[in-house]
Amino acid sequence: MKRHLLSALFVLSAGNFLAAQEVAFEEYDLDNGLHVILHQDNTAPVVTTAVMYHVGSKDEDPSKTGFAHFFEHLLFEGTKNIERGEWDKIVSSNGGSGNANTFLDRTYYYETFPSNSLETGLWLESERLMHPIIGQVGVDTQKEVVQEERRLRVDNSPYGAFFDELLKNLYTKHPYRWGVIGSLDHLASATLDDFKNFNKTYYVPNNAVLVIAGDFDTEKTKKMVSDYFGPIPRGAEIKRNIVVEDPITTTIKANYHDPNIQIPAILLAYRTPGQAERDAYVINMISTYLSDGESSKLYKKLVDEKKIALQIFSVPIDAEDYSSYIVGGLPVGENSIQDIKNEIDAEIVKVQSELISEKDYQKLQNKFENNFVNANSSIAGIANSLAENYMLRDNTNLINTEIDIYRSITREEIMEVAKKYLNVNQRVELEYLPEQKEAN
Amino acid sequence: MKKYIIFSLLSFFMTVSYAQIDRSTQPKAGPAPEINLKEPARFELNNGLKVMVVENHKLPRVSIQLTIDNPPILQGDKAGVSDLTSSLLGKGSKSIQKDDFYEEVDFLGASINISDQSAFASCLSKYFPRILELMTDAALNPNFTQEEFDKEKDKIITGIKSEEKDVSAIATRVQLALAYGKNHPYGEITSEETVNNVTLMDVEQYYRSYFVPANAYLVVIGDVDFENVKELVTTYFTPWSKAVPPSFSYTKPKDAQYTQINFVDVPNSVQSEVVVQNITELKMKDEDYLDALLANRVLGGGSQARLNMNLREDKGYTYGSYSGIRDNKYSPMRFNAYAQVRNTVTDSSVVQILSEIDRIIKEPVTEEELTNAKAKYAGSFVMALEKPETIANYALNIETEDLSKDFYKTYLERIDAVTIADVQKAAQKYFSSSNARIVVTGKGSEVLENLEKVTFNDKTIPVLFYDKHASKTEKPDYDSAIPEGITVEAILEKYIEVIGGREKLEGVESYAMLAEAEMQGMKLELEMKKTTRNQFMQDVKVMGNSMQKQVLDGDKGYMVSQGQRKDLSPEEVERVKEESAAFPELNYLTAGNITLEGIESIGDKKAYKLKITDKKSSFYDVETGLKLQETSVEEVQDQQMTNTLGFHDYQEISGIKFPFKLTQVMGPQNFEFVVKEIKVNEGVTASDFE
Repeated sequence: MKRHLLSALFVLSAGNFLAAQEVAFEEYDLDNGLHVILHQDNTAPVVTTAVMYHVGSKDEDPSKTGFAHFFEHLLFEGTKNIERGEWDKIVSSNGGSGNANTFLDRTYYYETFPSNSLETGLWLESERLMHPIIGQVGVDTQKEVVQEERRLRVDNSPYGAFFDELLKNLYTKHPYRWGVIGSLDHLASATLDDFKNFNKTYYVPNNAVLVIAGDFDTEKTKKMVSDYFGPIPRGAEIKRNIVVEDPITTTIKANYHDPNIQIPAILLAYRTPGQAERDAYVINMISTYLSDGESSKLYKKLVDEKKIALQIFSVPIDAEDYSSYIVGGLPVGENSIQDIKNEIDAEIVKVQSELISEKDYQKLQNKFENNFVNANSSIAGIANSLAENYMLRDNTNLINTEIDIYRSITREEIMEVAKKYLNVNQRVELEYLPEQKEAN
Repeated sequence: MKKYIIFSLLSFFMTVSYAQIDRSTQPKAGPAPEINLKEPARFELNNGLKVMVVENHKLPRVSIQLTIDNPPILQGDKAGVSDLTSSLLGKGSKSIQKDDFYEEVDFLGASINISDQSAFASCLSKYFPRILELMTDAALNPNFTQEEFDKEKDKIITGIKSEEKDVSAIATRVQLALAYGKNHPYGEITSEETVNNVTLMDVEQYYRSYFVPANAYLVVIGDVDFENVKELVTTYFTPWSKAVPPSFSYTKPKDAQYTQINFVDVPNSVQSEVVVQNITELKMKDEDYLDALLANRVLGGGSQARLNMNLREDKGYTYGSYSGIRDNKYSPMRFNAYAQVRNTVTDSSVVQILSEIDRIIKEPVTEEELTNAKAKYAGSFVMALEKPETIANYALNIETEDLSKDFYKTYLERIDAVTIADVQKAAQKYFSSSNARIVVTGKGSEVLENLEKVTFNDKTIPVLFYDKHASKTEKPDYDSAIPEGITVEAILEKYIEVIGGREKLEGVESYAMLAEAEMQGMKLELEMKKTTRNQFMQDVKVMGNSMQKQVLDGDKGYMVSQGQRKDLSPEEVERVKEESAAFPELNYLTAGNITLEGIESIGDKKAYKLKITDKKSSFYDVETGLKLQETSVEEVQDQQMTNTLGFHDYQEISGIKFPFKLTQVMGPQNFEFVVKEIKVNEGVTASDFE
């Protein structure tokens, strides 16, 4: 109670100095369940059309992994009215650019155009949802492409397997336990019907959010949205099982040998709360405190002063059900990964046992605020934030208020959260090593 | 019953109403969007400072930009004073020490930059008052000290020295000097001498004369309140005393009387810098401003434009060829079309660039070219509008360039309205193939012979010669005849003799070297080991970490680059084998296919050039017989790059002379390795090559 009062006071006083960010938006549902978010900003004649589908690797059948990401590729293969190979040409001849990406919980497609091509953007995205061609040719082509992508990003890339390896160890029951690219074997053996079923289940308007951000006329746009997306039939309700993991109580030790590397790495991973939880925000702050920039604690100590580490990093990976917080480093010269682990632990223990200094706290706030503000400086960036806040945090308006959460986090809370989640017995310790050479 | 029918009919129509749209074809794009630009609010201070404020509350951030729109400034025999003034500004003020100033700006997550004619700051809006105060204080009350002045002067002189042999720097300097004249602000040359003429007092004087509010504009954009900005700006900027900068007159730049090549000889050059330039008088407010931009776009304004398609995509002469047109309300400006090309195609490149300029003057562009140029222009214009600094620049341009209020609002429409005939007219007016100045900077001994044969429209183009400081000079003399009796064998024998003699060299079974270089403040270590048994190891370390390692042991070898290991292919094994010979000259003597190419200058020395293979040449000092340099051509991503390795400071180890300083120039990279240790027949073991 007292804490709430304090944070309310804090927000109030901060309000004197700073007008809140104002990203105005409007949101509504079509009859078929498609959620629509409009953010009008006529300052620049640029418009982004984007659709986020609530389907990611966690929605896959454990015996058919890699489907969500595969669909991201497949859905550029053409539709009833857009021939194979035409998609990119249409986008670029309208002066636009676009792409897509897939993660644990969602798949995101977007294009940015000069605003007079808004209708083309809506046509493209509605075609993709309404009647994509899921045929053998496209499936075979994209199987090849995805294999190349896996080679490029995971198999052939130094440290490319770290995320998959950590997920495998952090989760035993939850479908986060396999990576986004999934199994090439599963994909190879999948049938056309498997793909059609996946499409029918997840690529339905009631599982998607359409965001239009930028320069447009609201009334005309609403009409176009209903014209292009209205006729798409609603799909069956999607049943999602919430899988709860047992807490980690003893350190999980793992190792992995990567043939692409020469310098070993130590990765410490903690299972942290889902991205909508307040504690997840606190973890983000701790991460910034520890390793963001050259004046951060770990960088300054391990890289700058003691010269133990070549590189140091800490990344909170946000996801809906659980987030993962990863901290680690690469040793320099004769130093061992154990040396790095000791130093990281010492620094984390400090965060757990003493308050960070007032000055560091304020610097952190400034830094955070700067990052946050600049993250929303482009129309395309705003579209992405709106979709993600709606779909994964259940609060579209976080785009304006998220910073208040960070502001309300106190030094005491940082200490508490570090104590709650960042203990040695709660983590995975992954020794990421070069492949051993044959002894001669 | 009937009612139901009506109902279902209605719903039938309702569903039909969705299907009105034709999904089978791509929707037509709407008319070019009108640019919804914010009108800045304005006020003016008594000292003449004009202030524009663009309120934009979307994000809690602010940018502050001060521009002083002075006419170009002639610095004369004190050229460099403006650069020095810029480097001394933004380092605190009379009341805040440099370190405290930096620390406070960092802590607030902000940035502040000040130069001799401008200032810029960005920050979160809540820190706007303090950042504005800091910026203004640093700009208006600079703390010029002798200590900082000396430091910055050293830096500038080091910069000038490091550019002495830099082909691009020489080329740019001469191009500008020839286009504008050396007594024009845009053509004058900053040299070590002129910088040495500058004193701290000159900087203070320069600052006082030109950092004045008469032509100054302050633009504040972002999450601010106009009244608040007005109050703060008035408080902080009122002490800025009213003053007008001194004005100059200088000769107006003129085109060459006839098309000519101006050649600058840079013997160390491995590429030629070719530019075809002429003088234009283009102002933003000109009727045909956009026509001129589009003509330039078709000619050389991007990777899909004619110059690049011709010289890069079609002929493979260069990595890129482009053109640029500039507007300026104070002075005629330079139009240029340019490329950096391989030595052997220097003459052909001159002809191709000139032909493309000639063609766009004489023939209309195609409909498709114009449409694409417009689409690209419109696209970039539209995308740029998202950035707040673009909006600021537009507001400022309207004010300073005397443009109509709707200049940017109608920009896209006007782009769209440009016709093929408009483009040709602009090309005729702004580009020239008959009064063009073609400045070629390159290695005369290799390119001049063909350059002097260049004809265009059936006329030979005369070649005039200039030195590195754009003064007229004589044609360089390359005909240093090879003395009678000098043969490949004689040169190689002499080299072997002077470094220690055949017997000594043949007694070397292994050899280990450790050298160091600096790269952007980091220490680079080079370790090399060789034996006579085709064993070779080279390891490059940055700050103690292996970045690149090559190992050869007999017929197999591997390479590790940034953690990735790869086995060498048979061809690579052969190449490394060649490198692995401790004294390759011993093999050259028996190789038989080596030719003597002539005498060339290497720095201030004359050297015999031996062609070892099609891709490799070695240079031996005519006087001392020592090897001065090796050049080899390597393919990097389809581009040919010349790798030049220089050998200096020979010192004797175990009776053999080794170079103790190695310089390497490859593309834009430049390293100087200093040898720390050389061991002969010791310090190498079999395990080094595992």
